[in-house]
Amino acid sequence: MNATESPSMTRLLRPHVPSFAAVVVLQVIGAVAGLAPLLAVVELGRTLLSPGPLDHGHVWTVVIVGAAGLFVRLLFTAASSGIGHLVDGRVQLMFRRQLAARLGRVPIGWFSRRHSGELAKVVGDDVSAVHPFIAHTPGELVSAFVVPLVSLVYLFTVDWRLTLITLVPVVLALALVPLMMTPARLREQKAFDAAMGRITSSVVEFVQGIAVVKAFGGSGRAHRRFVTAVDEFVGIFSRLVYGISGIGAGMQVALSPPFVLLVVLVGGTFLITSGGLAPADLLPFLLLGLGLTAPVAALGHGFDEMQAAGRAVGRIKDVLAVPSLREPAHPVTPRGHRVELRDVRFGYDDDHEVLRGIDLVLEPGTVTAVVGPSGGGKSTLVQLLPRFFDPSHGSVLLGGVDLRELGSRDLYRTVSFVFQDVRLLRASVTDNIALAVPHADPDDVVRAARMANIHERVLELPRGYDTVIGEDVKLSGGEAQRISLARALLADAPVLVLDEATSFADPHTEQAVRQALARLAGERTILVIAHRLETVADADTVVLLEDGVIVERGAPAELLERGGRFAAFWQSHRSPQGDEL
Amino acid sequence: MIRMLLRVLGDEYARPLRRTVALMTATAVAEGLSYALLVPVLRALFGSTPGEAVPWLVAFGVAVALYAALRYFSDLSGFRVGISLLRGMYHRLGGHLARLPIGWYDARRVGQVSVLAGEGVLQAMSVIAHLLSPFIAAGVTPLTIVAVMLAFNWQMGLAALVAVPVVAAIQVWSGRSVAAADARTAERGHEATGRVIEYLQAQPVLRAGGRTHERFRLLDDSLRELQRAARRTVLSALSGAVAMTLTVQAVFTALLVLGAYLALGGGIGVAEVLAVLVLAARSADPLLSLSDIGGKVRGARAELARLDAVLRTEPLPEPREPALPGSHDLEFESVTFRHGERTVLDEVSLSVPQGQRLAVVGPSGAGKSTLLQLLARFYDVDAGAVRLGGVDVRAMSSEALMERISFVFQDVYLFDGTIEENVRLGRPDADDADVRAAATAARLDEVIERLPGGWATNVGEGGALLSGGERQRVSIARALLKDAPIVLLDEVTSALDPVNEAAVHQGIEHLMAGRTVVMVAHRMRTVRRADRIVFLDDGGIVEEGGHDELLRRDGRYAAFWNVSLNSS
Repeated sequence: MNATESPSMTRLLRPHVPSFAAVVVLQVIGAVAGLAPLLAVVELGRTLLSPGPLDHGHVWTVVIVGAAGLFVRLLFTAASSGIGHLVDGRVQLMFRRQLAARLGRVPIGWFSRRHSGELAKVVGDDVSAVHPFIAHTPGELVSAFVVPLVSLVYLFTVDWRLTLITLVPVVLALALVPLMMTPARLREQKAFDAAMGRITSSVVEFVQGIAVVKAFGGSGRAHRRFVTAVDEFVGIFSRLVYGISGIGAGMQVALSPPFVLLVVLVGGTFLITSGGLAPADLLPFLLLGLGLTAPVAALGHGFDEMQAAGRAVGRIKDVLAVPSLREPAHPVTPRGHRVELRDVRFGYDDDHEVLRGIDLVLEPGTVTAVVGPSGGGKSTLVQLLPRFFDPSHGSVLLGGVDLRELGSRDLYRTVSFVFQDVRLLRASVTDNIALAVPHADPDDVVRAARMANIHERVLELPRGYDTVIGEDVKLSGGEAQRISLARALLADAPVLVLDEATSFADPHTEQAVRQALARLAGERTILVIAHRLETVADADTVVLLEDGVIVERGAPAELLERGGRFAAFWQSHRSPQGDEL
Repeated sequence: MIRMLLRVLGDEYARPLRRTVALMTATAVAEGLSYALLVPVLRALFGSTPGEAVPWLVAFGVAVALYAALRYFSDLSGFRVGISLLRGMYHRLGGHLARLPIGWYDARRVGQVSVLAGEGVLQAMSVIAHLLSPFIAAGVTPLTIVAVMLAFNWQMGLAALVAVPVVAAIQVWSGRSVAAADARTAERGHEATGRVIEYLQAQPVLRAGGRTHERFRLLDDSLRELQRAARRTVLSALSGAVAMTLTVQAVFTALLVLGAYLALGGGIGVAEVLAVLVLAARSADPLLSLSDIGGKVRGARAELARLDAVLRTEPLPEPREPALPGSHDLEFESVTFRHGERTVLDEVSLSVPQGQRLAVVGPSGAGKSTLLQLLARFYDVDAGAVRLGGVDVRAMSSEALMERISFVFQDVYLFDGTIEENVRLGRPDADDADVRAAATAARLDEVIERLPGGWATNVGEGGALLSGGERQRVSIARALLKDAPIVLLDEVTSALDPVNEAAVHQGIEHLMAGRTVVMVAHRMRTVRRADRIVFLDDGGIVEEGGHDELLRRDGRYAAFWNVSLNSS
């Protein structure tokens, strides 16, 4: 399967087709067998009502056939339902895996415009909503049509006039269906789903921002977004419900057993008194006639669920269809670790370019410091190296190979990074550090932790390296950043990308980053967003980035001497930094 | 179930809900009773004078009309009550979540609560609108029919009656076993949701680590666990359904046999036997749907139980007669605070006179942030007292307390909205001039100038579309606008680059001027300017005094100071 092409639903479901077929066949056999006991009652009535002596043997045969039918029905429907649900579980797992795989390949930029709550809803709730499609619909829908069809054919052979009369409630109910599917209703359904999504994301926000909610809590105004989302949702929901509840209730009454029986009895009485219908022939209509409403009831009953499932499938498809970062068909292996940016341009949206033509070479074994005012594009620049984004123009080359030609394994084996936005996983300290090296030697993990100045702190944790972060313990910002540094050190990749702002969390982190830089310099290709003047001074090359372009570059001493933009920048930042020194 | 619903919602919903249940029960009884009229109708039709059926038929028609009217009104009433319960539940949950102590919120709760407050509430409430009526009908109508059977033929009625306790027992038994499996499934579902959110938010790291989906074991494990739990639920639900079907069918078969026997013996009229069998067929269908509906009701009940558990988590108690502080002195008196097993603060005492600045320094994990959080009453202390102007913070209303405090965090969380909305959170009724002034003082104005959308720029979920420094400036502007007399700063300038730091410092200076300040910091410049410094380690105050005094003492603080000197 090509990584960039989204797998179609049919292809995903194809392996499960035999199971679906089994579900349907078993269900139909079971449902049709379920008619046997009803027919047994009919036959019993015919025998008992027929004039002349009773045929005892015939009566008991009828009873036995009826009982056998019940048994067959039990066996087959249970088997069908069991298989259906097991397939359902497998299909759901498959969908979730596919979604996770897809989300693991889309460009990182795609996430910043989406709520993780909404995406989690697709993977969780939306996949669950497919349940009726898989487990119930095929079998139930087919039997909801096959059984009435069989009954209908039988009833026609008994008396066609009464059959038509029996169909009156069905026709009445069907006449109401179009009213429930007007464009306005469908619009309301869409609005309903959108409003539900907003509730979910406002809850995620509400919970994550709870500290702010509390600090500004007052009379609950800070959670007004949630309340607004709720009120809006309830509004839409009640419009939807009130819109259909009258029609729905009317339909329910038309299909209800008492009403159907009334219609059958009125018609039957008329035909018996005037049309020469044999009284015994009324029985099948009383027993099977109710079953004729099944298809409509199935439609009405499962309709909401089906529609919800349909919409959920739509959202799943949308996510599966997001184009992923392209993986090369024939990955090329890089030669060496020279990094080169050639006329790189990039913008998060079309009308605003963040990088406007960057040419930069990182020689192996050198430290390149990027400096410049905030908003100048430093973070974006360094994020191109681990390929969080692809440049919109130009190329990033590693060992002479465009990153787009590189297999992702090769890329991540070569480039590691420590960024400001640290996300630790709810997993053990060891797992967090060994993220990039899953089967790392525990000694190596400890060594990396030592180098990152976090080892002692880890030993103080309740279960040491097995402590589950976020569950057993909450780490401070600085500690989290040192874990992330240890992660990068363990990965031991030849190219290291580092945001030094990371180190400003606390003195220990600062020391750790400083030591790591000192230790690795000369061996690694390092690109650092520098904040300390010392780092800048020690760098082989300094690049001053302003407004998406490199305005000056060169050895730091040289640049200072030149007295240009960098020198001015250096001077202006000595002062805020000044009394820190 | 209803009882739990009422407890969760409060008494004001008791009346409409009881009325709805009564209406639904009446509808189900009416349906069952109307069938009683089938017997005379059939007796006439199967007899020699079918014309006699007409008056009975008219009576049946009236009964059906009555049933239809009842049904229509009970459906509508169900919808109406369902919606009002839905709104009530959402509001209660929202209000409650805001009042729960911050300590309650850990990483896994984000996924849990988001599912619960979204679909969970809807599912729990849909019981009333969609499930309650069929559930009541499936139980009550067959019971009524059995009563009708008893009235017409005691033998067959008795045979049907035997089924009642068996059906009830199966319903209860399978209910219990499925509920247990359901609870596990739901737990796994929450777990998986938490993992998905984590997986999404950690994408940059995961990719850099080469951990695409196939190798991200944590997520895949939780997805597989979810499937396994769901399978167990299915199997236990299925066994309940099979037992139910078996019972109902056995009784139907018994009635068939008994009917045939009685009719052959001539002890009963043929019309009666046939009518009773028609009735039996009528009650079999709803009973068979009982396990299906029961499953859905249980799902809703499990959701309801989870809501109940959240709503029953005690928020911090509010005082009956809130006191108001006279000044803004701050005081900790022998404060002990535990988080789980760990003692975070151990008998800490300190005080900050109004208008002074206290700096708290110390290694990570020493309890510095906790100190601030106790002042803002994110938690309550386990022993001792935290006082504001001589008044225990527990004796103040949380609104009065929050009005007096501006809290600036290290990790700024912005709400998904415009910059202006986020700043205005500080004081929603502020006029534009005040908002602009706060922005200028926080040096947010220069950020806004640079952004394409200006004040109306959307900051994204959590403020993701702004840089750390920009977010911090928003939060300082917010605090400036709030203009509270007490300012709590939690490592505000850490993780900022020098340019942002300089800007943020200016903002902070504006914010601190003339206010009582407690700050957790390590950027030594701010610390040095504090009136007093406490060095916190392992939950206790190790050293305390002015900057110069502490340096002279050459203890922990001095050592810390030197590390930070060396690293710059």
